[in-house]
Amino acid sequence: MPIASVTGSDKDSHAILFYPRKRESQDLTLVGSLRAPSDHNLGATKLRKLSPDCVVAISPSGDHLFLTAEGAAELCAGGATDEMVRADRQSLFISASPFAGLGTKRLLKSRQLAKRSTVINGISLHILVPTLQCGHSCRYCQVSRTLDDEGHTMLETDLDSACDAIFLSPAPALTVEFQGGDPLLRFDLIVRAVQRIEQRNRIEQRDIRFVVASTLHQLDESMCDFFRAHRVYLSTSIDGPATLHNRNRPTPGRDAYERTVAGIALARALIGEDSVSALMTTTRASLAYPQEIVDEYVRLGFSEIFIRPLSSYGFAKRNQARMGYSVDQFMVFFNAALDRVLWWNRNGTSIREVYSSILFNKMLSTFDAGYVDLQSPTGAGASVLVYNYDGYVYPCDEARMLAEDGDVSLRLGSIAEVDATISAHPVVLELQRASMPDEIDGCARCAYHHFCGANPVDAHAQYGNMFAPVASTEHCQRHLRLFDSMYLRLRNASDAELDLFHTWARPASFESKPCAA
Amino acid sequence: MVEFDTLAHCWSPDIQFLVKATDQVQRQRIIDLASKGLDNVRWIDGAHVEVGDVVLPAPGLSRADVVYRAGDIHHSLFLTNRCNSYCVMCSQPPTAHDDAWLQEEALDIVRHIEDSPNCIGLTGGEPLLLGTRLRDIIGLLQVVHPETRIEVLTNGRLFSNPQLADDMLVDLRAGIKWLVPLYGHADFLHDFVVQSPGAFEQTLDGLLTLQDYAQSIQLRIVLIKPVLEHLVQLCEFIGRNLPFVQEVALMSCEPIGFALANRALTEVDLLAWSETLRAASRILQRYRVHHLYMNAPLCALPQELWPYAHRSISDWKQVYKPACDGCVVKSRCAGLFAWHSKGWTPAAVRPFEETKNE
Repeated sequence: MPIASVTGSDKDSHAILFYPRKRESQDLTLVGSLRAPSDHNLGATKLRKLSPDCVVAISPSGDHLFLTAEGAAELCAGGATDEMVRADRQSLFISASPFAGLGTKRLLKSRQLAKRSTVINGISLHILVPTLQCGHSCRYCQVSRTLDDEGHTMLETDLDSACDAIFLSPAPALTVEFQGGDPLLRFDLIVRAVQRIEQRNRIEQRDIRFVVASTLHQLDESMCDFFRAHRVYLSTSIDGPATLHNRNRPTPGRDAYERTVAGIALARALIGEDSVSALMTTTRASLAYPQEIVDEYVRLGFSEIFIRPLSSYGFAKRNQARMGYSVDQFMVFFNAALDRVLWWNRNGTSIREVYSSILFNKMLSTFDAGYVDLQSPTGAGASVLVYNYDGYVYPCDEARMLAEDGDVSLRLGSIAEVDATISAHPVVLELQRASMPDEIDGCARCAYHHFCGANPVDAHAQYGNMFAPVASTEHCQRHLRLFDSMYLRLRNASDAELDLFHTWARPASFESKPCAA
Repeated sequence: MVEFDTLAHCWSPDIQFLVKATDQVQRQRIIDLASKGLDNVRWIDGAHVEVGDVVLPAPGLSRADVVYRAGDIHHSLFLTNRCNSYCVMCSQPPTAHDDAWLQEEALDIVRHIEDSPNCIGLTGGEPLLLGTRLRDIIGLLQVVHPETRIEVLTNGRLFSNPQLADDMLVDLRAGIKWLVPLYGHADFLHDFVVQSPGAFEQTLDGLLTLQDYAQSIQLRIVLIKPVLEHLVQLCEFIGRNLPFVQEVALMSCEPIGFALANRALTEVDLLAWSETLRAASRILQRYRVHHLYMNAPLCALPQELWPYAHRSISDWKQVYKPACDGCVVKSRCAGLFAWHSKGWTPAAVRPFEETKNE
């Protein structure tokens, strides 16, 4: 096609007309945090010291840059920097270009919107608690009742109302999770609910995922057939090797571990290899066994492990003195367990640690995976609703556990009366107000405020007040330490580890809230 | 051009037909048809034109340019020589004069293509300078050749004009990919390469607009020195900020046009940048951004990046060197631009021999 080639003419001479403009530095200055100049209002970049010689700068887009102490001081002072340093800072939204225009502004806005999209989509996680009955009598469990206690079971009329209420949410993708107690003890209610929801969904056409959180002790072949046919996933609890698990989860036969492992095997054989996932709860007894716990998950063939701390309230709160541990103790345990997970990955066994994945998702990914406990404003009542056996609706799992302890102040009304106004319920609005990251003293100045969110239910449980000073909550103390630790890991990571962390950071199937089984 | 035997079948009044006539009898039949009033039929015979080609006769001369070769794999329509950027390595240096005839010609070519190609590129210059006339050309292509994929090579800057963006993109049928260059992760880096202050902001704006209209985007990065120097950061920028693009094309520079005038900036030995390319590929993989290398022979790329190499040089401008004859990977190699001899090759050409292990 000769017409497209122009050669040999004077057009080939090209004079470079335009060189980059040199300007005095427009880097931002530190006033408590970095503030953008008002004429290029890109929001504020914030700094946090991770170690004596490492500071992380986090920009309004959620991008980060590691600095030395001198580098941080220079950034704060707005000192002159060379062109390439300036380019890197601009591209991370750490500092603003003097020429930033509509493109950059729209880009930042779209980045921030992507981080918030899961909050905007409406209630996507619906937790049904058919019964509080459970075969375990775990020392840290907030709620469960014994097998012969039939008073703590949902009425069929309430169950039906709950199934209908789920569709009030506009979210196109819904997760329906059965919790307890052990919901398998009332398999009949699970069947009733799944069938009713599926029936309605023939018209609604939502993308619905069912999860049953259970010890799996009662799991049998006919249940497996039903779960396979209706694409129901199972979520169970494994706290570690048999001795630890059985110590944490007493049953009359002292065989909780063996029966759960048998349930896992049955589910894998009859429903599918990926039909069951497991969660662990860290008790004081766990602290000495980080490697053993991870190894147990590998041995059982799980591709994920979730190193979860103990809830600090409910029954667990009462037992804090016996069961509890400090944030420092948890961090030592968590890091040792994560190191073991990374060891397995280096040695060819692929296993993902879910808590770090949630944090890396916040830190590294453009897209938020929508983990409820770190949403801001809170996901309680906005992304999650709990339909409890007692006939009432609660904004989250923890709220119904508080109710077991006699505090029903977070109740959103009866299941039978749920309507579309529930997201504007005074309690939900109060929870939102108590978790607006830009307005809470402490959160607004925190470097991690794009990734985190105050947990007002947690504050309420700990102090009886959802506006309790954020920094004094266990939620805040733990997450500050976790983010610090994860940023240090990023800074020191090998290329292979960075690849792995990015893989973990991608939104995956950890949107389902951990079970209370 | 059509076969003599098929004329009766494919004739229509609004198309100009050239009939391949190899003997005197056939030629006389065409002349007779024309004299009876069938004024859109002529005969042709020549070695360099094939059935299905579109030919543009030079007025008053017994000569015609083939403007569309049915046998080619890569097809493109050159829509304008005007541009709002002035890139240091431009292979098609822009001119300022009005060239509306190029768009008329493009419309004619589209009407005259007999068998719809798999893909056709719309190129310039900057096609968005044509405004709604570009939409007309795309519209005609989609009517006449509904199965053909369309690729528009544009710097995207004018999409920062909401009215133009809306005129171009609203209700646009699927099947179009926008090929948009990005040369830096900060304004002054990109603006220097395209020699246009403000271009980075406009292109970013344009990319976000394309995303708003759910358009398919290929980002294009030309591997010249001022780009390679910060390629890794550019890929980070893309991974974090532009993960919606369908792919990123990393392209070796065509040694032609302004690239020859700015050799100090544009001539690189790609092999010497292997570490940079490895790191860039790793970053893009990390963010799951699909990417490919274009215009580079395999001997210019580290071997682990060969799976990303694409045979991209249009067939009419692709050649090999004599030394390539013995190379065992020649058949999957992009080769060289025909005009490399006036410029340079992306790296010293090294034929690969069969190894005993393979």
